[in-house]
Amino acid sequence: MPLDVVLRGIFSALFVASVIRISTPLILPALGGLVSDLAGVINISLEGTMLAAAFVGVVVSAYTQNVWLGVLAGMLAGLGVSVLLAYFHLYLKTDIILAGIAINILCTGGTIFLLYILTGDKGNSSTLASGAVPNVHIPFIKDIPGLGTILSGHNVLTYSAFILTWLVAVFLYRTPFGAHLRAVGENPEAAASVGIDVVRTRLIALCISGWLASLGGLNLSMAYLTLFQRDMTAGRGFIALAAVFLGGRTPWGTLIAAIVFGFADALSNQLGSLKIPPQWVQMIPYAATIIALVGYNLRRRAQAAERARRFQEKHLTEMAAAQAGTD
Amino acid sequence: MKNFFASPLWREFARIVAAVLAALLLGFIITLFVSDDPVGAYRAFLLGPLTRLNRFGDWIEESITLIFVGLAVALVFKAEQFSLGAEGQLLLGALVSGSIALFVPLPAFIRIPLALLGAVVAGFLWGVIPGYLKAYLGANEIVSTLMLNAIALKIYDFLLTYHIKPPNAGYTASETFTADGILPNFIPPLPFLADIRKLFVQQTNITVALYIMIIATLVVYFIMYRTPFGYELRMVGANIKFARYGGIDTKKVILLTMAVSGIFAGLAGAHLSMGIHTKLILNISLGLGFEGIVVSLLARNNPLGVPFAGLAYGYLRAGADIMERSSDVSREMVLVIQAIIILLVTAERIWPLAQTRLAARRAEQEQAPAAPAASH
Repeated sequence: MPLDVVLRGIFSALFVASVIRISTPLILPALGGLVSDLAGVINISLEGTMLAAAFVGVVVSAYTQNVWLGVLAGMLAGLGVSVLLAYFHLYLKTDIILAGIAINILCTGGTIFLLYILTGDKGNSSTLASGAVPNVHIPFIKDIPGLGTILSGHNVLTYSAFILTWLVAVFLYRTPFGAHLRAVGENPEAAASVGIDVVRTRLIALCISGWLASLGGLNLSMAYLTLFQRDMTAGRGFIALAAVFLGGRTPWGTLIAAIVFGFADALSNQLGSLKIPPQWVQMIPYAATIIALVGYNLRRRAQAAERARRFQEKHLTEMAAAQAGTD
Repeated sequence: MKNFFASPLWREFARIVAAVLAALLLGFIITLFVSDDPVGAYRAFLLGPLTRLNRFGDWIEESITLIFVGLAVALVFKAEQFSLGAEGQLLLGALVSGSIALFVPLPAFIRIPLALLGAVVAGFLWGVIPGYLKAYLGANEIVSTLMLNAIALKIYDFLLTYHIKPPNAGYTASETFTADGILPNFIPPLPFLADIRKLFVQQTNITVALYIMIIATLVVYFIMYRTPFGYELRMVGANIKFARYGGIDTKKVILLTMAVSGIFAGLAGAHLSMGIHTKLILNISLGLGFEGIVVSLLARNNPLGVPFAGLAYGYLRAGADIMERSSDVSREMVLVIQAIIILLVTAERIWPLAQTRLAARRAEQEQAPAAPAASH
């Protein structure tokens, strides 16, 4: 009997809606991770960036009593963190991974430190009256049974996550700057040799990355919950990074991978009634990421071997033709 | 003597000390803004660990864990492998050693070495996986080790919650180990040491892990600088293409490096379970793998430097705990200081840049008096 309770739980509109809700704070930083990764700078500091934005958003919205000022401040905080990372990596030549780790530590410690100063509490900001971003009820669709539950009534940031996936795809594959960005990630020396400013491109990529991560952080503290908790990102920045690789380093793939992680999380909550330990379900996406990572590399390697073979063949036929010509 | 002060080693050392001092100074400036008694708070932070025996014990215990993890990180970083897997290896080391300490009914003199061996094997095997994935399948070790850390944490939580925790326990933790499963105190039970041993047993958890840590440090140094494998490891770190052209099996070296590194992370886990907590608890690590990176960085990935870096960093952490308890400044201050230290130590260009600025200013000053002379 519990099994059909679980199944009914999973195949309900409410469950799908909860998957979307849980996935949002993964999709946004994952898109950020994608942009910087394609530019050749792996952004380990998504986690810290989200925390900083989540914290600043809550604090500013509480003190100004204006949600949008909070959102704006949170975005600026995320940008600030990225600029700090970029300054150390691009200008002072700090290793990107170590700088990213340092920034995560700084943001974890810094947010708790400031939270304690502002509220006298190291756990959460429940004493601050912070705001929440509004939910959107889509006319007509909201009245359709099932579909209305799934598609309507989410917060603004959830919708923007899906729109931003499309925008990031357009930006990366349909704009000159996107092409430059990918070229810099693929081969910085080659990109520099045709006049692309590698440092500037990566600076902008990191800023976009930080901005997207900040939206994810704001979603956590001003929509998913309406307060700041210490360490409230709980590893989502790292899961987002994994989603980039599980998604084969493409925008839509990343979106789907982030939703897969969200699905596993939502599912493990449902399975409580089935006596299946939630840890097993939560483990699956991580294992899947490793497999995807390996698959991606093997595919690239096969492609490179194929290109080399074709080049060789072409070269040989040309040589033969030239030989035939001289004979 | 002059040669020594001109040597790169001395410059490295001076640079790291300068970074730590700069970070501490910044920490003090922050304290000035937030505390009613900044001097008292900072005194507790900087002198606290030396004021009482139990605080001294906390410092040394914490440092031993950090040094083990630091050694693990030093090995992989020396080979330029950015494995962040120490966290997962440590968790499994704690899990396996703790399980043996709890459930294997053997006398202490077999059970404890067996538990340590279990931790070593667990760490080693959990390092083989990302090593193989990186070396033979080209999987980025940063992402794979982060995933493996998450998986190790889930395994740890699952086994602790469903199998190790006594069924009727109110909170998620194992039973406390019996004396047969706990690392003995570092002072041997000799009659003439009885008094001091009793004092240390009562107030601290400093165990024989102290000696294991010293041996481990020497072993890592020996592996790195006195064995063919260590030479290959350093060559891979210095220039992997050159190493490959030189005939080194770089794939094997990468795999082995990550696996051997796991040995020491596993020992850190054993120290946590059998030395400090004497039981398995949830959140036993909380990011110690990342702390090990700081220790290794401060030691410039040199195994002989790791104990000093570990003691220094452990001191800061122990001091921060005391500061939190005895003043109005929270212990997270040390995280801010830690982040600043990492950034200052790893910023390759910060010192050359500072030197250029300094030289420019000096040149300006020398020119300044010269300029009026020229106008005469």
